[in-house]
Amino acid sequence: MNRFALLSLYRSLTRHKLYAALNIGGLAIGIAVFIVLGLYVRFETSYDRWIPDHENLYMVQSDFNLPGSPFDGVSYQTPWALLDMLKETDPELVGTNIMPAYGSVIRDGAGTAENIAPADPGFLDFFRLELAAGSRDALKSPRNAVLTEAAAERYFPSGDPIGQTITLSHDEGPTNYTVGAVVRDLPANTQFDFSILIPIVQSTSPTIIAEERNLGALTALTYVRLETAADVQGFLEKMPAFIRQHGDGIGENPDEMLSYVVEPIADFHLGTADSLRQTVATLGIVGLVTLLIALTNYINLATARAGLRAREVAMRKVLGADRSKVMRQFMGEAILTVAIASLGGLILAELGLPFVNATGGLSLDIPYALVVPALVVLAIVAGALAGFYPAMVVSRFQPAAVLASSRSPGGGRGGARVREALVVFQFGLSIAFMIGTAVMMAQTSYIRNADLGFEREGLLVLSTFNDPGLDDAAKGTLMARFREIPQVTSVTAATMAVGGSGSNTGENMELPGVPGPGPSVRKIDIGDKFFETYGIRTVAGRVFSSEFGRDDATETEDEGNFNIVINRNAVPVMGFDSPEDAIGKVVGGDRPRTIVGVVDNVRYTSARAEIGPTFYVYKSELPDFAIATLRFTGDPRPVKEAVRAAWQESAGALPLGMETTDERLETFYEDDERTARLFAIGAGLAVLIGMVGLWGLASFNTARRVKEIGIRKSLGASATDIVKLLVGQFMRPVLIANLIAWPLAYFAMRTWLAGFDDRITLSPLFFIGASLVAIAIAVLTVLGQSLRASRTAPAWALRHD
Amino acid sequence: MIKLENIERRYASDEVETTALVDVNLEVAEGEFLAIMGPSGCGKSTLLNTLGTIDRPTSGHYWFGDQDLAAMGEQALAKFRAAQLGFVFQSFNLIDELTIEENIALGLAYRKDVSGNKAERVAAAMDTVSIAHRARHFPHQLSGGQQQRAAIARAIVGQPRLILADEPTGNLDTANGEQVMDILTALNAGGATIVMVTHSPSHADMAKRRIDMLDGRIVASAMRAI
Repeated sequence: MNRFALLSLYRSLTRHKLYAALNIGGLAIGIAVFIVLGLYVRFETSYDRWIPDHENLYMVQSDFNLPGSPFDGVSYQTPWALLDMLKETDPELVGTNIMPAYGSVIRDGAGTAENIAPADPGFLDFFRLELAAGSRDALKSPRNAVLTEAAAERYFPSGDPIGQTITLSHDEGPTNYTVGAVVRDLPANTQFDFSILIPIVQSTSPTIIAEERNLGALTALTYVRLETAADVQGFLEKMPAFIRQHGDGIGENPDEMLSYVVEPIADFHLGTADSLRQTVATLGIVGLVTLLIALTNYINLATARAGLRAREVAMRKVLGADRSKVMRQFMGEAILTVAIASLGGLILAELGLPFVNATGGLSLDIPYALVVPALVVLAIVAGALAGFYPAMVVSRFQPAAVLASSRSPGGGRGGARVREALVVFQFGLSIAFMIGTAVMMAQTSYIRNADLGFEREGLLVLSTFNDPGLDDAAKGTLMARFREIPQVTSVTAATMAVGGSGSNTGENMELPGVPGPGPSVRKIDIGDKFFETYGIRTVAGRVFSSEFGRDDATETEDEGNFNIVINRNAVPVMGFDSPEDAIGKVVGGDRPRTIVGVVDNVRYTSARAEIGPTFYVYKSELPDFAIATLRFTGDPRPVKEAVRAAWQESAGALPLGMETTDERLETFYEDDERTARLFAIGAGLAVLIGMVGLWGLASFNTARRVKEIGIRKSLGASATDIVKLLVGQFMRPVLIANLIAWPLAYFAMRTWLAGFDDRITLSPLFFIGASLVAIAIAVLTVLGQSLRASRTAPAWALRHD
Repeated sequence: MIKLENIERRYASDEVETTALVDVNLEVAEGEFLAIMGPSGCGKSTLLNTLGTIDRPTSGHYWFGDQDLAAMGEQALAKFRAAQLGFVFQSFNLIDELTIEENIALGLAYRKDVSGNKAERVAAAMDTVSIAHRARHFPHQLSGGQQQRAAIARAIVGQPRLILADEPTGNLDTANGEQVMDILTALNAGGATIVMVTHSPSHADMAKRRIDMLDGRIVASAMRAI
């Protein structure tokens, strides 16, 4: 590009401000969306890659082969004793483990919930976590604690935390620990959520040791270091024999029911949830497609406008520029334009990031050292790509023909076809985005209001009711106190509560006349008035009642001979034709249990999770690990106050966690709603860019057709005819765009919805609705210009070149 | 058929006001062939555009039969043009993206009153100007003479009462120019009323009457000696 080329670009941009704004603005928005979503994808895919040597660190996961059971499939937890057992087999093995974090810190008699995780003494070294203070061997002493810097700052704001005492409530109730080390805060992109580490307590009781060594006791995350692919192979090959040796706790032929798999630690974050992987992929695609739409826009506008610059090009050619010079000029312009737009996009991304962070519950920031060079590459590559077609069209103009003709070439019929195809492409993607947004919004709002199988309003769950620091007497007192709260109509306790708490157990239910251990069915222990408190519908038979002695399994659980209630999904799994058919049937082999009732399926957790076959066992005494649930009427605030008062009296310093149904389920809604919101923002901006493009294209087309409009008017065309003509011209590509959009959106949304167990049907209304919106947008976009064009005086239009 | 009374046309820009037509009074009878002559910028084309209702007079009356077109709305004028007028331009003004046949059919596209076989009428119009063999071609594939014949076919396909021709031979060589004039003369002989702007005295002589314009006024009017 020479000085004149730069000058003519500058003049062209400043003289045609609207064009420049549309072109650069649209591209800048596209780039901003691309940057922001790119950062999101980068963040989500960067988990634990900061850990030194992470390529050689693997998580050992339990893969259960239990068809039909809710526990079928991979669990990332293992027994915490697995590490020791593996080392017994292979003393050379390097590994570590950690247990899930929970608990509280007690200060001045009050508890604050804190993520306290028991970990192997080698944990710090295995992950090479950096210490801010203290000893790397801190976890080798049973009463030492390791704090993150943030936790140290919270509890010891002034002075050196090392050697100080901190009271923690974890498995054993309030216990004093000495701060042995402070570890540097972990970055946000990690699977670890602890703020305090304590050593794992080794039991001396043979019964407990046996329980801990049961391969079905999933209590900890186990990690091993495997240096080479051969090491991985060797480790996996040893596992079947290992399971046969140690697996008698899970049943006969343990190696058929269980196998161990290893997953690189950096893959864990995206590997745990299909929904997250889908979200990351979806938003990545949205970012890429939005950029593509914006680039398409540029190509379209630049080609349309190229015709208007035909004279300039012709004159350059007359003055001696050859085709390659003209091409270079136009491609240079494109690269420069994309560069300006990139800068704009960067500014927009920086401005928009706080908003996106708030909407998506994220904490992204722009790493300039990475983004700026990336944008430079983008400007050159995208600019060259986007500039190529317009440059080719323009450089092909024959100077003599252009200069002799009174009208500007528009690339001919072929050029118009290409532009139309680009509009089809752009609008196709935009419509698909709109359909996607509508479906996602509908699904997320559906989940929020879906029938969960119980009455969702007016439930309060006490998630800390199973705190090991709370003894049975205190629990009994609390239950009694809760019943006295005036607004509370019913109180219950069970090993399951809405939001998914308590223990997660299942049993194989042997069926009469069917050989084998029978299907695996989820077991929920419930206390008094469970079904009444939740408002769960009875489908057949009856629910538990204290009138029937056999209903109570408190004493008889181990030998059987008690009654159970099953859920609707258990009916076919247990081989019954109907709920009524199940009533009175005895199942469970040598621990016979009689089915007395069938209740509706209850969705305690995510709409994505399947509701497995379940049976309920009634215990008149509080079941172990039970969580209390209260049904109340009216405003939850005074109820919470009363519960808090009762808690402080009976549980003292133990932290109190209580939430309503919606609060409990919030975490299950959040991820999908966040995705839906980010998707909607991306899609909205993509549609906006598409509109800008269509508007720009319509304005150039209208400008090019001024004379034609004059001719048509002189032939008697009315203003209405002209509007119909111009609007109609853009209807065709928009209508054809549906052909791309509908199948695309159909397959994408069907896949997305398949991730939900409870989902809406993919109604044709979403498709028709989005298409109507797209048509309305297209009409409104071109209508203004068409109206103006239709009002041109024909005599003036005919003189127009 | 046509009566212009005290027609004035002024163009106003920010700085200057130009008067294109001053106190023009003119009558055109049914079946007439009128030529308008004069130097560049004298107001010929403005007068023709005013007759064609694609330019509106600043003041005065334009009677077409018993209708005052100067007082009519845009929508009504568009309808009037579609039904009553045919235009022939110096630069042909065919639409590049349409074939010759489609361009000619455009002359009927805005006629709500034409029923029956439009294709037949288009074919007949093409026959009249001998362009049928080029029906499927695009304008840029035709010579100037052919394009102008196509433009005339478009003007006559709707059987208008008045044909307005703005320097129809201006962009053509002599032979093609003669051919176009022959067609116009034949149309006039068939009963069409024609008003034509021209620079060519010989072509003006082929009209039945001729007026001369200067600085927006009609300065002379002469009947051809028969």
